[in-house]
Amino acid sequence: MQNETLKRLIKNGAIWAFIVIQLVFFEVAGRWWSLSDSAFMDLDNMLLLLKQSAPIGIIAIGMTVVMINGNIDLSVGATYALAGIVMLDSMNWPFMEAMGDAAIPLAWLFALFTGAILGLINGVIVWKTGVDAFIVTLGAMLGYRGLVFMYNGENPTYHLNWTMVDFAEADILGLQTPALVFIAVVLIVWLMMTRTVHGRNAYAIGDNREAAVNAGIRVGPHIVVNFVLIGFLAALSAVAFYSGSGSVNPNDGMLFELWAITAVVLGGTKLAGGRGSIIGTLGGVIAIQLLRKGLGHIGADTETVNLVIGTILIAVLFLDRQLNRKGAEELKV
Amino acid sequence: MTRMTKLSLACSTALVAMGGAVAAQTITIGITQNNVGVDSYQTTYEQAFIAAAEANPDVEVVVLDAGGDVARQIAQIQDLIQQEVDAMIIWPTNGQAVIPAVREAYQAGIPVIITNSNIAEDGFDFVRSFSGPDNITQGARAAEIMCERFTDMGIQDEAQIVQITGQPGYTTAIERAEGFEQRLPEVCPNVTLMESQPGNWNREDAQRVMEAFLVQYDDIDGVYSGDDNMGVGALNAALAAGRAEDITFVGATNFAVGYDAMERGEYWGSIYQSPVDDAEAALQTALDILAGEDVPFLNYFDTPKITQENMGEFDRPVF
Repeated sequence: MQNETLKRLIKNGAIWAFIVIQLVFFEVAGRWWSLSDSAFMDLDNMLLLLKQSAPIGIIAIGMTVVMINGNIDLSVGATYALAGIVMLDSMNWPFMEAMGDAAIPLAWLFALFTGAILGLINGVIVWKTGVDAFIVTLGAMLGYRGLVFMYNGENPTYHLNWTMVDFAEADILGLQTPALVFIAVVLIVWLMMTRTVHGRNAYAIGDNREAAVNAGIRVGPHIVVNFVLIGFLAALSAVAFYSGSGSVNPNDGMLFELWAITAVVLGGTKLAGGRGSIIGTLGGVIAIQLLRKGLGHIGADTETVNLVIGTILIAVLFLDRQLNRKGAEELKV
Repeated sequence: MTRMTKLSLACSTALVAMGGAVAAQTITIGITQNNVGVDSYQTTYEQAFIAAAEANPDVEVVVLDAGGDVARQIAQIQDLIQQEVDAMIIWPTNGQAVIPAVREAYQAGIPVIITNSNIAEDGFDFVRSFSGPDNITQGARAAEIMCERFTDMGIQDEAQIVQITGQPGYTTAIERAEGFEQRLPEVCPNVTLMESQPGNWNREDAQRVMEAFLVQYDDIDGVYSGDDNMGVGALNAALAAGRAEDITFVGATNFAVGYDAMERGEYWGSIYQSPVDDAEAALQTALDILAGEDVPFLNYFDTPKITQENMGEFDRPVF
């Protein structure tokens, strides 16, 4: 029995242990290699880290829910770019310009609505056709990216509004708006997954879909809701980020889906569904951003980041496999 | 950053710790680049920048690469502010999206120098200087090269051309296309630009774009590419189709591959732009600003025309 507890501790704690190791390493190595006099574990630096994690982090939280369901969404990067374009472009429309700064919340609503609609399209196709979510969202990834390029050709979509930038850079207790949005999303979705029927159903469907159907769970509509959620969150991520930058490149958000999936898997969510946690994903997101930041801090080559993350990802999956084996091949602790 | 640099940084940091007097005079400059490794220009730029910094004992550099990702570059600018560098050099991934981050640096009292490709005008208030090539002039000069060639061949009233542009959204790509498209009708009003497609600064992408053009259009007299890397990709596609003889290739940023193709007589002309000059100009601009000297806001270095006719005057590019 004690073995079981220990195993669970390793499983859920591994990502946090990794984060602590990184913090200690970069703090110590930074003393030697960094050109900066300030410490790595400086409070401001850690608050900044949360802000920098927000764009991929918010998407990764939605991805966790979809992956616990046993599905996946590859279209989030394109949804992110398209929502950003709708938000910034809508502020150039005549009636919006006439409204002045009052147009800002309306532009945010347009973006969030766009994200939710794109998610709804994915969800309904997965539900009604029964085609694997991987294929459906792969098609959506290409299709939505096509829409991005149709919107404004190869030019960036641009609207710089300093009121909006000031809002995005505003802070409460040192936490800037994107970081606050990220924390709020983590809290709300964590509550949803642990305290509501919808959350429990998500695990049940991912674990054994047939059993879930037999238990009377309406699997189709449930899946649609989760796709709407991730579309909405991809758009929310765009709102939080582009409010502070004011310009969307047509190839923005490319590879975001892979970074989000990486963070989710690092956080211990099973690719096949049925198991995973929002808090684990938070750890995965922080681990990736910490690695990028830390390697920059000690002056290492930026490309090393990808190599290290790739290696760790495989190590995590290997550890996961060992922990789930039974009998003779079982991991000895 | 190479291992040697890291080692030397470690040593110099140790030295600084031992002697406070030395530390007071050392200048730390941070740079965040667009996308090192995507082409040899950016790779050579990085090497030249590090070499120039190493040659100066009073300068230490933090060299970062955004990998073409706007979000990552903004994070790197914030990190450099956090590290309290004395000056910051930015090679923008998007001339508009970095403006708010540049304002943060400005508000933190850190002078910002933009290198290679400028940011949009809304951000000019927060930038001390731009060091780099004049891309609109480059596009215009490429149009002149092409027009002069067509005039020599006597087809200036019927020629049809296509254009392969750089990475979408990237200021250099937009400005070169703009300079070319504005100048061409002024010098050769009867030349038709049939279509433009992005080649993303990438030789393979440009080759695919050109293959599609060759299928689509039976008569192509000229190709203008946003740089020679893409130009050579287009040339390869035309060579494979057996149609390179009839086409005048003009590029920008003369690469070694472009220079060699010009020597072989397959490629007509380009704009000579050295990444070593570019990198050294950026570092020098930063040092001049920190020394309190008067630096012009648009600090261009010259980028002359190069064609098969005058290429003897130029050294083969090192990248």
